[in-house]
Amino acid sequence: MAKKYAMIHDSNLCIGCQACNVACRSENQLPESVYRLQVWIKPEEYPNGTLGYEYHRQSCVHCENTPCVNVCPTHASFKNEDGIVLVDVDLCVGCLYCVAACPYQARYVDPVTKAPNKCTFCYESRLSRGEEPACVTVCPTEALVFGDLNDPQSKINTVLSERVTYQQKERLGTNPKMFIVPNHKGGIKS
Amino acid sequence: MFAQNRRDFLKIATATPFIPGSLGAMGELTLCCEDKSIRSMCEMCSSRCPMEARVVNGKVVALQGNAYDKAMGTSLCARGVAGISQLYDEQRLTQPLIRVGKRGENKWRVVSLEEALEYIATKLNHLKKTYGARSVIFSSKTGESYDMLRSFAYAFGSPNVFSHWSSCPIAIESAFEHTFGETMHRDFENANYILNFGHNLFEGLDIPLTKAMARFASNPSKKLIVFDPRFSLMASKANEWYPIKAGSDLAFVLALLHVWIRDGKYDKNFVQHYSVGFDKLEKALKESTPQWQERLTGIEASVVERIADEVYQAAPRCIIDWGHKATTSPAEYQRSRAILIANILMGNVEKRGGIYFPKSAKRINAISFDEMIPTLNEAYPRMFPNEERLDGAGQHGSYVFVPKEHGVLQAIPEAILSQKPYAIKGWFLTRHNPLITLAHPQKMKEAIQNLEFIVVNDIYLSDTAMMADVVLPEATYLERDEGIRDQSDKVPCYTMRNCVIPSLYGTKSALEILRSLAQKLGVDKNYKWDTMAKLRVHQAKGDDAFLEVLLRRGVATFGIPELFLRESKDVERFVEHYPKSKALLCKEGCFSHFFHTLQTPSGKVEIFCEMVEKIFEGYGLPCAVDMDVTQGYPYVLTSGKSAIHTNGHTHNIPYLHQLMSDNPIWMHPQTAKAHGLKMGDAFYVENGIAKEKATVFITEGIRPDTLFAYMGFGRDAPSLKRAHGKGLNPSKLLSLRSAPVCGSMITNVGVKITKV
Repeated sequence: MAKKYAMIHDSNLCIGCQACNVACRSENQLPESVYRLQVWIKPEEYPNGTLGYEYHRQSCVHCENTPCVNVCPTHASFKNEDGIVLVDVDLCVGCLYCVAACPYQARYVDPVTKAPNKCTFCYESRLSRGEEPACVTVCPTEALVFGDLNDPQSKINTVLSERVTYQQKERLGTNPKMFIVPNHKGGIKS
Repeated sequence: MFAQNRRDFLKIATATPFIPGSLGAMGELTLCCEDKSIRSMCEMCSSRCPMEARVVNGKVVALQGNAYDKAMGTSLCARGVAGISQLYDEQRLTQPLIRVGKRGENKWRVVSLEEALEYIATKLNHLKKTYGARSVIFSSKTGESYDMLRSFAYAFGSPNVFSHWSSCPIAIESAFEHTFGETMHRDFENANYILNFGHNLFEGLDIPLTKAMARFASNPSKKLIVFDPRFSLMASKANEWYPIKAGSDLAFVLALLHVWIRDGKYDKNFVQHYSVGFDKLEKALKESTPQWQERLTGIEASVVERIADEVYQAAPRCIIDWGHKATTSPAEYQRSRAILIANILMGNVEKRGGIYFPKSAKRINAISFDEMIPTLNEAYPRMFPNEERLDGAGQHGSYVFVPKEHGVLQAIPEAILSQKPYAIKGWFLTRHNPLITLAHPQKMKEAIQNLEFIVVNDIYLSDTAMMADVVLPEATYLERDEGIRDQSDKVPCYTMRNCVIPSLYGTKSALEILRSLAQKLGVDKNYKWDTMAKLRVHQAKGDDAFLEVLLRRGVATFGIPELFLRESKDVERFVEHYPKSKALLCKEGCFSHFFHTLQTPSGKVEIFCEMVEKIFEGYGLPCAVDMDVTQGYPYVLTSGKSAIHTNGHTHNIPYLHQLMSDNPIWMHPQTAKAHGLKMGDAFYVENGIAKEKATVFITEGIRPDTLFAYMGFGRDAPSLKRAHGKGLNPSKLLSLRSAPVCGSMITNVGVKITKV
């Protein structure tokens, strides 16, 4: 049975330390000028002038309904059998429609191949060796959970059944396979 | 001389066909001959996290945590993962250099290691003959290279060994020594309530502690209160944040103690039976009321009252967290002592969710009346030479309570410049960059111009290395074997740094370099080893099974159950495992005898410290002194760590520099407005010591009277091509004054600001 890979980012546990960012860069040998994954620490305004930081994972969210794949004229952007959105660089003609169509700004243009690329959940490398994506492996606070939604026994299904989560820009109907445990800290009095 | 050890070593070498450190054959652990995982220990900061490297076809391709350490799992921080970027950085030092231009001019001659070592040996001998061995200073960040350097320096004849302690954890370490007789640890995992005084574990990362704290902070049934002039990442995860006035933690804690004593809300049994000096504390704190502290901390009296009650309700599963090294005030010793005493009053010592003594093999063996856990042979013999130290540390004068093994770095410039108490002519530094990490580098630079000979062992041509006569390129931690290290915490634990990849440029470790030098100087008769393999065999007392575990796993634990000496359930379980330990049970079914035999003068926990009171009148008890950090200036400049960089170490490493290349100074919008500053504007930070240019980062997350800078930026060394000239080095504004009793560098400093 095909897999349906997904991830949870618990923004309570996340501390924005960028270990995931560096591990992604290291594992995927990314050129210096681009990234597949960052955590943005965003100061947020709360009621009564109180303070808080939001910890936002900026990367591909692996939509079920994929705007990037829909606009690709050459099928270079595709969703594989395990639900992971990938780019076949050989088929890409560099029109960058996918970059424009992505509502999550998750794609970059590789300065070497000139083709767009993005987070692959480390599909070609770590997953194929039976390992978790690099970001999940190194996360110092275990803020990331990765697994197969089609496996009822998987840790990700357990966590999803226990925790309240949301998906970014749910209103667009993209149905991302990146679930976020909302930050319940914040609105801190100064 | 090595007969016994060599025999043992050969036994290991033949029994299991691997070369120590290279792990050529790792049995089932090896993925295939070209794709292997090696477990070792990180050195991208000082936390010494067990890590694992994946090596494919002779190239290190990925680093992660070493899951054989349960507290680590596969976690590793950004710096740890960026170890690869350091290893393969083309700006690394690859060959030994000898100065050809003027000191600091950055003109060098490339030499062989042999030539460099011969030159160093000749120069050190010359200094010893002309001025005496004590004329040479030796300094290092603590760790194995420090242990080796100290042994080398003492054998050479110099008492002047310095660690980084006086610029980092010396206040809390002194407070531990005087209160408990040794260092204590914190059980964040099982606590229910934590008061955090600037211990920013979400930026100053230590994986096992950070992970435990993240779990704690995200658990809605637990409570975390953060006191910090800045809205740190830690503060953002708290239930409550109090932007306490910089330097005034002490006042808050004294008021907390006052309330507990006033209301009789403390662990009377523990205080009565296992501590000394409570009566004196009671008298001393009569005036330190919650109302009194308001003016000093800016926190309302009612908050003290409420928090005091909440902590007491949570006791003993509560921790008043002393931090690692928070930004320090002159009151640092008193602050640290007051925090420890707050823990004592809550009776959390040796309780789950409280604070505890590390359970080393020696301690567990003693309690179990069993020698089943291996203990180590000393590999670095250290006979302190009968000489006066340049700072009098541990001997006499204002630094009499500073351990003579660590010294006071801030005393070095004056000693060099004044030649008092005697001539200082040389300095050997390894893994130490005082021109970035120590107060007033301008003065230090002036002083070291007067030295005749400086050796720096480092990975990069750092700011300090630039000033050297000889620069030795060190092998990075991925390229070297080291000895066994005791890293016991809740249970006995040893770790070992295993070479992940042969040295890329043939560079050596500090251990190997110093061992060669000791031989050249003829001061090596006490070493029982001459190679890393023999060093390990000597430490392990020839126990090949133990060594093999460390070679394969990088970490060794022994299945000992966790033991908190005052938790009867833990003790019961321990006694089941080790029936002989029954002899030590007290009537409550715990191992409380331990609290009568501490390594303090009274053998008990010392709330009042008579030894300190005798020499520093008024300091035997915590009291409200030395809290001013403004020195009459309108603002306080504070500094701290980021999760991306380590002190003076990582700022030029490609992956990390790319993430964070500058340190704009945090400033409150009101303050910025008052000075007409907009986001990113340049301005001057100024005090009596320096006037430095900086840029501004405007945020609500800081007190209007406080500024904040991330440490380690503002590099002057041109060889650090990426980091050079970026950001502000806050050390340049610090004075060389030290905190009373403990000799700590003071890192809060008063400044004024002006627009450029």
